[in-house]
Amino acid sequence: MIELSLNEVETLSAKAARGAGFSWGLAEDIGRAARRIAVEDDNWGVAMLSLAENAQSLDLPDPVRAARWRKGEPDRLAERPLCPIRTAALLLDDPLPASALPLTIINVGLPMWLDAMLRRSAMRVARPVGSAAHADVVVEHRADIDQSATGRRGAIDERTLAALNSFAARTYVPESERSRVRGAGGGRVDDE
Amino acid sequence: MTAIALRPPEVVMRLQRLGAAHPTRLSFLRQLIRRATREKWRVRKHLFDLDDKGFGRAVYAVETPARTYSLVAFSTPLDDEKRSDRVIAQAWDTSYVLYDGLPDAAEIARLEANAPLQEAGRYTNRELVLARANKSVRLFEDVVSALARGRQPDEEQLLGVGYLLRTTAVYGNGKFGIADRDEIAGRPELAGSFQAEMLTVWLIRSFTLDLVDHIACRRNPAGAARLASDLRRALGVGNATGLGMAPFLVRHPLLTHSWFLARETALARVRAEPHAGAAERRIFAQALADLSRRVARWHSDDDRQAAATMSLAADLDALTENLDRLLAKPQPWDAVYRFAEDNFSLEGQEACVSLILEPHGALVDELGDTMKADETPGHAIDGSVTCASLRQALLDAYSWAADVDFADPAANARFWYVSAEKLEPRLGERFEEDGAELEQPLATARDALSLAAALAQEPQSASVADFLLRRPEWRHAVRRAQIVARFPYAEIHDNLIGADLRPVDILRAKLAFFGARSFDPRSDRWLRIALFSGEPLIEDVAAMATAGGAA
Repeated sequence: MIELSLNEVETLSAKAARGAGFSWGLAEDIGRAARRIAVEDDNWGVAMLSLAENAQSLDLPDPVRAARWRKGEPDRLAERPLCPIRTAALLLDDPLPASALPLTIINVGLPMWLDAMLRRSAMRVARPVGSAAHADVVVEHRADIDQSATGRRGAIDERTLAALNSFAARTYVPESERSRVRGAGGGRVDDE
Repeated sequence: MTAIALRPPEVVMRLQRLGAAHPTRLSFLRQLIRRATREKWRVRKHLFDLDDKGFGRAVYAVETPARTYSLVAFSTPLDDEKRSDRVIAQAWDTSYVLYDGLPDAAEIARLEANAPLQEAGRYTNRELVLARANKSVRLFEDVVSALARGRQPDEEQLLGVGYLLRTTAVYGNGKFGIADRDEIAGRPELAGSFQAEMLTVWLIRSFTLDLVDHIACRRNPAGAARLASDLRRALGVGNATGLGMAPFLVRHPLLTHSWFLARETALARVRAEPHAGAAERRIFAQALADLSRRVARWHSDDDRQAAATMSLAADLDALTENLDRLLAKPQPWDAVYRFAEDNFSLEGQEACVSLILEPHGALVDELGDTMKADETPGHAIDGSVTCASLRQALLDAYSWAADVDFADPAANARFWYVSAEKLEPRLGERFEEDGAELEQPLATARDALSLAAALAQEPQSASVADFLLRRPEWRHAVRRAQIVARFPYAEIHDNLIGADLRPVDILRAKLAFFGARSFDPRSDRWLRIALFSGEPLIEDVAAMATAGGAA
């Protein structure tokens, strides 16, 4: 196992998320959520890899369904599991009225991520969701917002780290001879 | 007292002005020196195990009121052809960690197996900072030779360069496994911006001075001289900084805002002072004379910097000539600033800001405590606002960008990317190089205006949350727009992908906040600077406190 700093966890996760196809803004959210998972769970790397690998197969919350949540109407089953990141982003950006909570959302993919994304908000997932591939989750109000923990590290095995680095590498630009010279400013090198 | 308005972001946050920034008494190394002096930090050489050529290991322990920190230094042989300022280097003359506590022999051995490898090593949360430095070869040898002959080195040559070693990277905040910033953010002595990094560099300075004394003494045990105390104090630590640091200010908007807001608040406070007291006049005159001496030695082969330095010298002469007249006016410091604004180059104006703050520690130093920020509050997006109101906020906050035509290739000439080879930020030519599809989200003005255009296509009463549900690709730009609306100094008011961008302007602004001097651009993308030159040595601050000195 390798111990990463939480900053490395956040940075790597954000890059891997971007490499997996999430937008820059969502990748930032995912990096922060990964940090929260790493504080509490030794399997943050596996969770991040699951998210990256399944990013394209998860469903988006459609506006009609979101409107039902907002009105406090029962959720409807969708064909594919909901993307926990897109769902959480919607809930965070425009929090549900108190009257709509608790809200049961049906068939959320990788619900650990919904839980992690909501940690710094006035909402939370009611019951532990563990590392389930998908589950129905209950989102409820919470009074006390989590503060960030310190003194923790993010352990990860080498294989998972390599897989995440592969996703991250999709965001990198290979060097050419020209960019190697120009890109960093080149020109004058050490001469003293 | 008549209040003075803060200089607005549209004046302060322009690249040309950022590229003329000067260190002030609020700069981070000055904050560190003040605290260390006030708290009487004590330094001792816990280990100094170097051979005749100066290779080996050393530990400098710093005792602060609450904790001990140690600089663990390794000095190793390096072939001349491997010596490079570039981040792509793989070996260095010296390597360092700032260690949390006092390392035992096993810990020193662990660090010795890793620190000389820098990025290729692996670190723990006992290490707070990782750094390396190369010798300024010719000067280093000249100084050692002179000392070994029992003489002092040539002062002009020495101060012309200003340092014996030059750091090429000083890493903090969790890089390569070292401690996260969160772990030290609650410690008063390291809570401020870059205090752990500045402490590391301050200790490296003492190590470099001891290193030349040591080698000279080993060459001639009976007759070597020690470097004279005035020269020790005059020398700093060099630093070479490249593009890797440039995106920092863009990626830390709340922190950037806090730095500039503190400095501008300090300036406004001093300008509003009704009188200039005798003590303030004396300190100002000293600071002006000191800066004039530094400017006379400030050498750069960069044509633009050389011209700016010449203008600065003329500006300082004009300031000296007019000082008594200006200080006789009501709100005298405001008169000085306005004289600079009306008559000086940008370099002169920003130097004047620094000089004006210098005599006013009692009025402004407490602002140093505000120069830090957790970016978390900026992360939340308010999706309840309408697309129309966000669009209007964007047009207001980015009005300075309205005239930039991003359809013009010159305005859209560059793209920021991360290099697969070094995992470092780089700047590419959009229309000449591959990789633009992997552009990093640093094209702030272009993205803001594009977002405004996208919002114009939405129903005006639609919520931003609904917009982002359908258009997640705008999430980063919406987040930034809402930050900039609340934190006006968060954004650089210039196009960061234009053909005429000089990234060294961004680097200089950040380095000035560190406390850097002697800016020497080596291209439009990297520069050399000096830190701590002319400042107290860390081993002297405990005695200074007793003598009533302050930085």
